Amino acid sequence: MSVEIFTTVMTLASSLVLLAGIAILWRRSLPAYIHAFARQSFFIVVAVLVLAARERDRELVLVALLMFALKVVFMPAALRRVQRHVGADADVRPYVNTPVSLAIAGILTLVAYAVAQPVVALSHLPTRGGMPLALASVFVGLFIVASRRSALSQIVGFLVMENGIALLAVLATYGVPLIVELGVFLDVLLGFLVMQVFVYRIRDAFETTDVDRLRSLRH
Amino acid sequence: MFLLLMLAAYAAGAVTALALPPARGRRPAAACLALGALAGAVAGARVVITGQPVGWELPSSLPGLALLLELDPLGGFFLCLIGLVVLPAAIYAPDYLASPAAPDAAGGAHAADGGRVAGALTALFILSMSLVVAAGNVFTFLLCWEGMAVCSLLLVVGDGATEERRGAGRWYAGMAHAGFLLIAACLLLLAARTSGGAFADIRGASYGLGTGARNAMFLMALFGFGSKAGLVPLQGWLPRAHPAAPSHVSALMSGAMLKLGLYGFLRVVFDLLGGGPPWWGGLALALGIISALYGVLYALLERDLKRLLAYSSIENLGLIFMGAGLGLVFHGAGRGDLAALALLASLFHAFNHAAFKGLLFMGAGSVVRATGTRDLEAMGGLIKRMPWTAACTLVGAMAIAALPPLNGFASEWLLFQSLMAGVGVAGPLFAVAMAMSVGALALTGGLAAACFVKAFGITFLALPRGRAAAEAAESPRLMRLAMLIPAAACVLLGILAPSFGRFTAAALAAVPWLDPSSASFRLDAGFEVRDGFGRIAPAVLALLLLGSAAAAWGAVRLLASRRRRVGETWGCGRIGQTSRMEYTAAAFAEPLLRVFGDLLRPTRDLTIEFHPESKYFVRSIGYRTRVRAWLEEDLAGAIRRLLRPLGGSGRLIQSGSVHLYIAYVFAALLAFLLLARWM
Repeated sequence: MSVEIFTTVMTLASSLVLLAGIAILWRRSLPAYIHAFARQSFFIVVAVLVLAARERDRELVLVALLMFALKVVFMPAALRRVQRHVGADADVRPYVNTPVSLAIAGILTLVAYAVAQPVVALSHLPTRGGMPLALASVFVGLFIVASRRSALSQIVGFLVMENGIALLAVLATYGVPLIVELGVFLDVLLGFLVMQVFVYRIRDAFETTDVDRLRSLRH
Repeated sequence: MFLLLMLAAYAAGAVTALALPPARGRRPAAACLALGALAGAVAGARVVITGQPVGWELPSSLPGLALLLELDPLGGFFLCLIGLVVLPAAIYAPDYLASPAAPDAAGGAHAADGGRVAGALTALFILSMSLVVAAGNVFTFLLCWEGMAVCSLLLVVGDGATEERRGAGRWYAGMAHAGFLLIAACLLLLAARTSGGAFADIRGASYGLGTGARNAMFLMALFGFGSKAGLVPLQGWLPRAHPAAPSHVSALMSGAMLKLGLYGFLRVVFDLLGGGPPWWGGLALALGIISALYGVLYALLERDLKRLLAYSSIENLGLIFMGAGLGLVFHGAGRGDLAALALLASLFHAFNHAAFKGLLFMGAGSVVRATGTRDLEAMGGLIKRMPWTAACTLVGAMAIAALPPLNGFASEWLLFQSLMAGVGVAGPLFAVAMAMSVGALALTGGLAAACFVKAFGITFLALPRGRAAAEAAESPRLMRLAMLIPAAACVLLGILAPSFGRFTAAALAAVPWLDPSSASFRLDAGFEVRDGFGRIAPAVLALLLLGSAAAAWGAVRLLASRRRRVGETWGCGRIGQTSRMEYTAAAFAEPLLRVFGDLLRPTRDLTIEFHPESKYFVRSIGYRTRVRAWLEEDLAGAIRRLLRPLGGSGRLIQSGSVHLYIAYVFAALLAFLLLARWM
């Protein structure tokens, strides 16, 4: 594979990751969110596999397989189960409406380009073109967390953000050592499980997963 | 090795207290703590005697966040001090907590969890105190310092069931965290010039600091550590937190934790900053004198036994800081030898205070456990019901009143000597200041003696003033044993004062510019101060006292008549004698209240009810006097008025909405990224 094609493929994959993240902003239902997240994770898996093929790195293949199992299969399935449990009551009314959300996502992407510029300038890797896109998907993830009502969609936002970080790690360093990657997976998995528990608890206490109700805890 | 054993024992104590059911877990946990205390004391003493620091490092991948333990002679001395308080407190705790009668035992048997958490917190509190003195870099020090503050705060608040405990918690939390802010700022500024913030690196780098920066750091250290030590005007939390905590925790806090304020002050100002201009010492000396007088005056008027002891702690910490300030003054005047003498007095008194204040708090705990009250006016006559507690408390009271040959005498004598030796050091202003300090110290000593005559006399002598006092029972055996340890320490430290003085001088070797070997004092069989006014031999003094007591007893046996009469003390021929005829605590303090009336601003209420027929017949007279601690309350009020609008505006950004908080995080992240891009 020549360098040009490799660069193009990696940038394309990064763009798709970002696009899948932004897709959440215009969809209005939890199943669609989960689907978009699964797709985003899938694009990252593809990017890692391409990189593994080019570098002939077995560890990266292992990372890709783990990522597939965790983020494309397990987490979306778990999210769907939780969603069936608590019902699809919330998240049709985000704080920010769709057009403004998309505009903000555009601005965030621009900011990501601006912020990532010095890092990109330092890097000599052929994958450096994707780094601002990965950063943008971190921002988009954070924005989802900040602007959605339901605790479940906030989890999805968190996972999108985490995906952005994972992609950034792949693009900037050609994959961190396997042991670090495993640690990160474990972190994400534990964080996910804890948040899942919290969703149930919030649901039990307030009979909704609308996080805004937590405001009543203030006095 | 002993240091490791100490850490392991304390950790085991915490785990045991948490894991076993409270009724069975208290004794094993106490055994762990006692073992840790012994190991810590041995480790500390070894470092002091050999002069070889021990320690090790737990590296971290993040810069400046490595855990570094390094125990040098100064830290070793304080580790011995902590061991001296922890050992009896650990032995004391199980029976004290098991008693349902102790009203101040927040972590006692009647707590919701049976005192499990409180037991574990006590162990963690002791552990973090011990690590503070062993810390070798800024991060470790601050971490352990804050751990110590938080554990003790939780122990003071306990279950937070009474307003007294909650109020004490608020005061203590406020003071401790204000102090922590100052300390953290000071130490981080010092560490900023080094790579890892290790004390060894700071020592070398601090000479390059500008004068303004050094002055600012000194002030931050003085007030930051002063808030822990209870120096005026940061003393307000002491009389609230000490009574609210369970008595063995009060003993730990007052006996050991307050001294860590001194340790931190010495570590930063003497060791890391390497001393400074004379006004540094002058300020510390002045604050010390004010604290000593303030503490002893309010202690004298107090009728709550544990609050009295807390005020007395303010007094003693004042004396200790007088010594430290004096050391700085002498250093600024170029007299390193006299500075060593003053610091010796300060450290010696710190150690002594740990012994007798730990003892007195445990004695107070026993009394409170037996009578169910802390009010002096409800006690009396306990010497007959609780002879062991009375004897131990008497030793502690005599030691704190600085009676020879007990330990308080030795250290206060040293402090007097160093003040008097200072009269001739520099100009006339200096001489006048020293002379006035001597006067203030003498006044403090006299008032302290009066205060403890009152504390002991009203509690233990005369007739019981209430049913609870009349039916009090002696404490269990372990509690008595626990009180005997510091009582023995008080006697031994007094008689063997010169040997212990040499030990203390060895601890000072940690500070390079103090040279105790060339100092202006000699410690062999007795104390001798070259520029001072005297020489004493405590052991000889003790023998003389013992001899004269024996002679007096013999004379009485020989000369007095053999006939024995049993009658009431000071019966004055009255037919019936009741407790209402006795001296009360308020009555005892009344003359001094009049003398210091302008300072104390008491409010008096005199109500006389006459007989309706004739006003020559009085039915009842009510006399009520109240002394408000106006300095504390007015200062707190001023701060509250200052902070309230600030807190109100802080509420504006606190909407309670999770989304808003996430948005704050998001905005901060973006702002920092953009800042990093264009800065």
